[in-house]
Amino acid sequence: MRSSQLPLYLMVIPGVLLVLIFSYGPMLGIVIAFQNFIPAKGLLGDQEWIGLDNFLYVLELPNAFRVLWNTLYIAILKIIFGLIVPIAVAILINEVRVMSLKRTIQTTIYLPHFLSWVILGGILIDILSPSEGIVNMMLGWVGIEPIFFLGNNSWFPITLVGSDIWKEFGFGTIVYLAAITGINPELYEAARIDGANRWKQTLHITLPGMRMVIVLMAVLSLGNILNAGFEQVFNLYSPQVYESGDIIDTFVYRIGLMEAQYGVAAAVGLFKSVVSCILVSLAYYLAYRFADYRIF
Amino acid sequence: METKGYKYFTWFNNVFLILLALACLFPLIHVLALSFSSSSAAAAGEVMLWPVEFTLSSYEYVAAKSEFWRSMFVSFQRILLGGTINFLVTILLAYPISREPKEFKPRTFLAWFLFMTMLFNGGLIPWYIVIKEAGLLDTIWALVLPNAVPVFNVILLINFFRQLPKELDEAAYVDGAGHWTILWKIYIPLSLPVLATVTLFSLVMHWNSWFDGLILMNKPDNYPLQSFLQTVIIQQDLSMITSGDLEGLSEISDRTLKSAQIFLGCLPIFLVYPFLQRYFVKGIVIGSVKG
Amino acid sequence: MTKLTKLFLILLFGCLFIVITACSNSDTTIDDNSSSEKDKEPFGKYDPAIDVSFVRSIDSTLDLALVDGETIEDNVWLDYYRDELGINVTYDWTASAGDQFDQKMNVSLASGDIPDFVSVNATQLNQLVKADMIMELTDLYEDYVAPFAKEVLESDGSGPFDAATIDGQLWGLPNMSSSIDGAEFVWVRTDWLEKLGLPEPKTMDDLLAISEAFTTQDPDGNGKDDTTGLAVTKDLWDGYAGLKGFFNGFHAYPNIWIKDASGEIVYGSIQPEVKEALQTLQDMFGSGQIDREFGVKPGDKVAEDPAAGRNGLHFGQQWTSLWPLQANRDNDPNAQWKAYPLVSVDDQPARPQITLGTTSWWVVRKDVEHEEAIVKMFNGFIEKNWGETAEFDKYYMPDGAEGTWKLSPPTPSPPNKNLDAFLAIREAVGNDTTDQLEGEAKVINGRVSAFEDGDDSLWGWERIYGPEEGVFGIMDEYVNQDLFMRDEFNGAPTPTMAEKNATLEQLQNEVFTKIILGDADIDEFDKFVEDWKSLGGEQITQEVNEWYQNVN
Repeated sequence: MRSSQLPLYLMVIPGVLLVLIFSYGPMLGIVIAFQNFIPAKGLLGDQEWIGLDNFLYVLELPNAFRVLWNTLYIAILKIIFGLIVPIAVAILINEVRVMSLKRTIQTTIYLPHFLSWVILGGILIDILSPSEGIVNMMLGWVGIEPIFFLGNNSWFPITLVGSDIWKEFGFGTIVYLAAITGINPELYEAARIDGANRWKQTLHITLPGMRMVIVLMAVLSLGNILNAGFEQVFNLYSPQVYESGDIIDTFVYRIGLMEAQYGVAAAVGLFKSVVSCILVSLAYYLAYRFADYRIF
Repeated sequence: METKGYKYFTWFNNVFLILLALACLFPLIHVLALSFSSSSAAAAGEVMLWPVEFTLSSYEYVAAKSEFWRSMFVSFQRILLGGTINFLVTILLAYPISREPKEFKPRTFLAWFLFMTMLFNGGLIPWYIVIKEAGLLDTIWALVLPNAVPVFNVILLINFFRQLPKELDEAAYVDGAGHWTILWKIYIPLSLPVLATVTLFSLVMHWNSWFDGLILMNKPDNYPLQSFLQTVIIQQDLSMITSGDLEGLSEISDRTLKSAQIFLGCLPIFLVYPFLQRYFVKGIVIGSVKG
Repeated sequence: MTKLTKLFLILLFGCLFIVITACSNSDTTIDDNSSSEKDKEPFGKYDPAIDVSFVRSIDSTLDLALVDGETIEDNVWLDYYRDELGINVTYDWTASAGDQFDQKMNVSLASGDIPDFVSVNATQLNQLVKADMIMELTDLYEDYVAPFAKEVLESDGSGPFDAATIDGQLWGLPNMSSSIDGAEFVWVRTDWLEKLGLPEPKTMDDLLAISEAFTTQDPDGNGKDDTTGLAVTKDLWDGYAGLKGFFNGFHAYPNIWIKDASGEIVYGSIQPEVKEALQTLQDMFGSGQIDREFGVKPGDKVAEDPAAGRNGLHFGQQWTSLWPLQANRDNDPNAQWKAYPLVSVDDQPARPQITLGTTSWWVVRKDVEHEEAIVKMFNGFIEKNWGETAEFDKYYMPDGAEGTWKLSPPTPSPPNKNLDAFLAIREAVGNDTTDQLEGEAKVINGRVSAFEDGDDSLWGWERIYGPEEGVFGIMDEYVNQDLFMRDEFNGAPTPTMAEKNATLEQLQNEVFTKIILGDADIDEFDKFVEDWKSLGGEQITQEVNEWYQNVN
């Protein structure tokens, strides 16, 4: 039939080689998860093999299930709102007719992505303070009692999710805006001639036009089911909210502080990867089965 | 033909988005205000959105700091080189994999082959050893080659390529065009918004990465900007100050200085966005290309 | 088509194979040149000069040390080692201090790269011994150490050597650093004391009265209820606004291992005295003397309060007048602070707790040719800074530079050097012989007199070293009365400690915080003690006692 496939093979070679060397090469290190790994002995040195001991060690720690639960709770909320908010904002931005305003808003909302949690942490302590923070002041205007966002165990996870969305939603809208931009303007034209109003156009043209990216982002975001955001939590939590805010990554970090426990860290990493892999594969299959869409 | 209800909606929508934008602008303005304030006012937490006891001394200090500018130069090198490589590799992977299996048999295998790297990794030590054995330590390539394949970007681009109408390929085949021509003449021009997106993602990734620079560079002279900033802004561990650190104590804790460096460090990447933004603004009329 | 696919797959796995083999070929070439005859001169110069490799950590304070175009690789110290001792220092790599340095160190170790001489923490030292990668140094140390260096290295008790001693043999040279400088003091804003007519704190009751008055009697006189009594950080044990000093006032010693009446080593955090201190803190929090939000505030956030004139009392180490109190002084020239000795709840004096100041040890890679070079560098460093032939103005703190000593790879310093500087200044001021001061004392005295001549930006230095009210005057009392409560455990983490300590520490801080906040009843403490023991504490205690038997 048509033209030769050879060019297709040639095209993938550089990328495949790079992935093999720099991603698959290091994956051999997964064996560390099954060792009592001591860096000084070297990666291929005479390390002690301890089977599943690293996994059992973590599971048997007194707070393991509390930490797992916290991680899931925070991560799932982040996945849900991390999808909804950027999609909604992208659609709203698309409705802005004044070009200069549209551009300014787009540019502005992506700025917090560039500030680290060390910086934002300091700012959050100020603006969320129950006594003098601006957020509680505004809540006070509508008669709500001050909330100790960073110090209250019921509010802390929500604060994490909220502040994470605040930091990242603007950056997240970019991909949806690109999807909206990719929609053929002739479709809107045709809809207008048919008398569809803006709302109907959004519902029947914009959203379906974004469907592909939404499904893709949803499936991929499941890979973060056990990532509740180390840097953020590490900079915001305190003994006061360990109960609701201690997550897998901070937990492992504190264990690692004591001794370079690479085996434990690798075991936890592997566990997270396997769970993510199962979930994403499942989602991939479901998307294919029910939405008839393969994300790749 | 727009209804009254829609007018109200537009009005509310604009106000809402402006408020949202202000909430996002807030932290940056705070950092900027700190950078122009006196250190003692900053240390007392008196600075919110406007400088207190305005001074340019932080910027004078940073301007004289050669490491800052040298590391910024390394960062520019990195995003130039890394961005270009990312761009080429992404397109070259996405195009074949976006084909149907009957056209390119290993596509499904390759898609999973790439995707797995998003989920699994071997951790710090083997990653370091591979890069070391490849002889890349202490060179700009250590920051560029291991990050050469942005898998998320590839997957995104695959999806966009697959959405392009198949008739376009058919027409091109009939004209005797090969894959290289189709990619270059049809796919790329039609995918400018998403190409702008993945380019932005890869530039931002390269600009923001700091950890790899710290571990893979043997000399601080080779740190990219964010790695250098990391050495500046990390919080001093207050339980472990030794007597020897006394002299540096006030400098370490100087928030205004940190703020000035953070702000300057973000500036270049902020300027990239408006430039790429023009590709997001207008849709591309596929029909017109087809004709 | 299928052929092409196959070929492709073969290529893939071929590459993978190459990667694997590339990793496994860690080439270790051992230089078998027989070494030149070794003399046992502590300062003997190598001729021709030898090359030795190091790694080093850097931080932003090094900027102040490098002057006149000096670099990390080319400066007065490396010149000294080359010209006087015949040792060419080279750096395999440099990395920024802290977490990243440790990680870089671990990846380098794992990849088989270890420099000739390297400074490591107790855990890494232990692992290197187990991996058989470093050399035993017992005889080397005795053979080559210079008399003065020996005196300095052994002046902080046996602690610095215990941690590097395994099975009776020495594996690392302590990079000596002060232990006593970690002791805490009560820092009080004295202009507020005067304003409210309060006495200086002599007992815990005085201190509690001050805390209450600073909270309720509007010490800043702005008519607003915006001041707090005692400043505390969320981390509880920081060197600024931590609680160690407060607990010590109740004869409680959290986080360290102490000897009980029967001679057993026990953990300080679970002793009954801790409960009393926690109860008092709970009461203070309940009556608003501690910031309602302290539980979420890291040190630099808490530090805003004194800087803005909203707090006048904290426990802290000797340096807190430089940070954050200097900012308070800058904002309000009338602000005055003074350090007081820790106060006690009863007639027994409060004993400040301290831990081993030495946190790193120099180890020698196994196949190094001139292993004694590191001892010679130790000798040289100590001699040139504090010995008979010291050239302080050249090597420690030349004009226009600060912290020049940090440019040397090993930096062992006399544990009492800051106190000694203070004593020298006090004596010189008393005898009116300040022009005869030398070395560090001279530089510091310059700062103190500059403050007295009106440079308020050096106020923090005067508070530390000023002959009248300087905090080291109290330190001298601590030393004279032998008040320090030292951590009895100085070894690398024991097996159970490595496994369980992170959990136990978390449990402790969580329970303590909750008790202070009033979220948990004070009797939770008893439950904590039980939990601590059953979750591994008992086992750790046993191991610590075994360790103690071994070293003593």
